[in-house]
Amino acid sequence: MPEVLKAPLVVEFPFTRSLGPVQSAFLTGLRERVVLGVKTGDGRVLVPPVEYDPVTAEEIRDLGSFVEVAPTGTVTTWAWNHAPRRGQPLSTPFAWVLVRLDGADTALLHALDAPGPDAVHTGMRVRIRWADERTGAITDIACFEPYDGDRAEPAGHTGEFENPVTGIVAPARLDYTYTPGRAQSAYIHALGDRRIVGERCPSCRKVYVPPRGACPTCGLATSEQVEVGPRGTVTTFCIVNIKAKNLDIEVPYVYAHIALDGADLALHGRIGGIPYDRVRMGLRVEPVWTEGSRHPDHYRPTGEPDADYETYKELL
Amino acid sequence: MQPLRDVAVVAFAHTGHLRTADELSEVEMLMPVLHEVLDRTGLKTADIDFTCSGSCDYLAGRAFSFTLALDGVGAWPPISESHVEMDGAWALYEAWTKILTGDADTALVYSYGKSSPGSVRDVLTRQLDPYYVAPLWPDSVALAALQAQALIDTGATDEPALAAVAARSRNSETNTAAQQDYVVRPLRTGDCPPVGDGAAAVVLAAGDRARDLCARPAWIRGIDHRIEAHGLGVRDLTDSPSARLAAEKAGAFERPVDTAELHAPFSSQEVVLRKALRLDDDVRINPSGGALAANPVMAAGLIRIGEAAARIHRGESDRALAHATSGPCLQQNLVAVLEGDPR
Ligand SMILES: [Zn+2]
Repeated sequence: MPEVLKAPLVVEFPFTRSLGPVQSAFLTGLRERVVLGVKTGDGRVLVPPVEYDPVTAEEIRDLGSFVEVAPTGTVTTWAWNHAPRRGQPLSTPFAWVLVRLDGADTALLHALDAPGPDAVHTGMRVRIRWADERTGAITDIACFEPYDGDRAEPAGHTGEFENPVTGIVAPARLDYTYTPGRAQSAYIHALGDRRIVGERCPSCRKVYVPPRGACPTCGLATSEQVEVGPRGTVTTFCIVNIKAKNLDIEVPYVYAHIALDGADLALHGRIGGIPYDRVRMGLRVEPVWTEGSRHPDHYRPTGEPDADYETYKELL
Repeated sequence: MQPLRDVAVVAFAHTGHLRTADELSEVEMLMPVLHEVLDRTGLKTADIDFTCSGSCDYLAGRAFSFTLALDGVGAWPPISESHVEMDGAWALYEAWTKILTGDADTALVYSYGKSSPGSVRDVLTRQLDPYYVAPLWPDSVALAALQAQALIDTGATDEPALAAVAARSRNSETNTAAQQDYVVRPLRTGDCPPVGDGAAAVVLAAGDRARDLCARPAWIRGIDHRIEAHGLGVRDLTDSPSARLAAEKAGAFERPVDTAELHAPFSSQEVVLRKALRLDDDVRINPSGGALAANPVMAAGLIRIGEAAARIHRGESDRALAHATSGPCLQQNLVAVLEGDPR
């Protein structure tokens, strides 16, 4: 078996969320160094605030239900994180904490900046350390810090602010090591030799290109390797009129399903070497490899007569 | 309440624990398990009335991976099929419901997870509240550690007791576990699940069909799942009222069970669950080793149901409780009660 192929894969996206009235007031409050909770029907104060009572499911969105709480509070549980990970609030060792702020009945998750685990205990008093730059996000709280002063008295903010934040953008990034698996690895290895190799189902004898390791009709592993093409037939196509980001191809161009000779599944590729409005179903094409490329750059007409519809109608 | 139909787990198969399956795609890892579970019953894909799977694209970072996994089932011509972006235990719940409606007499349930391509501790942060929690990137071990410390603060356990849970799960010496490094204190390496890849599948069948397919079917006497508030600071992390309620609704407290397969990825969570599910020392807990021995994310809960059923199939249990969890700190819990016919 050839070596296992691996490549880095990064999934990264700005997670953009709109806020309801409760979240908007809370996060705008953090920007203004005000911590707001909501009061439930039975008089509990929830911090961070939510739109529905977690016990009764009663809706809480009446602005009159906002209650300002203190930036000081008590640790209800903690965990020492000696090796901070990317994105976490502090880059030096810290304690994760749940903190019940003075005036609240529930606890808020955040980080506590402390010199070591011996300096942290359940019941200890802490206060918010505000971030220097605040945008209306949970990270406007930089972290908590130990505090032995008096309980701070909140000013009784109503929850109404100038320019409330209406949304957040939370960047997300996850790093993976992608491995294509047995069948696709073999396919990619063959591409390195400019050969297109599919796999045949042991039961229905269909040849799949690119192979995915299993026959979707029979639910069986494919293993017999079959070289297909290089020539093939356009079974269907579309004309791309919008330029994709980071893609150096002039629009309009044609993207097509191509049934390579010997394959029972069409793969897709770009059609070049012919004006876009001359491409048609049944057009015979062949791959064009460019220097250093690990897959065909595009497919071009072979000049053969068009394939008869009957020969490829099952592959549409 | 008695279920509308008698439905049983009639076969179970799983991959065993794979640290990494990087030479295999997800469908390549899954397919042998599907074949094994079907072989045990003699059924073919065409004989299965309903197929339901559980998986999560974020684990391996492969979009729509569950559709590629369907290639391993043989889903053409089209089959009646569904998917949950959850542990396969919840796929089993959906399949059980489908059979109760009378629309199906047999169901194939499978799940798989490849955690090795990514960093599962970080991946799981993306399931958290996106406004107040996810931007802080609290990883799965950190959240479990907050729960463990809360439990220690109540006096319900301590670090040596947690090490003993971990050692029993892995059949190893207690004292070596206690000397392991902290991952996030108070949880040490041994208190945390191994990261790995795996897949599992079960076949469900109703009534006489189940008796035809299996010498001793594991009848699902009750199954229920419940969820708690998503705010961690709203919950009492030292208790699991959702697990208790699910167990009550599943009929778990009507008679004692002899075996319990608990989906407790962290040693401290076993302590919480034993109390919530009222399991005393007479009950064999996790004879399979549980999630501390092997934790293919998205399959580990279904494996608990499968392992409990397999003990009934083999005559090693007459009445077993199987539990699955989802979300941080045992946020959501499913409980199934399985029974074999009297011997
Ligand atoms: Zn086939």
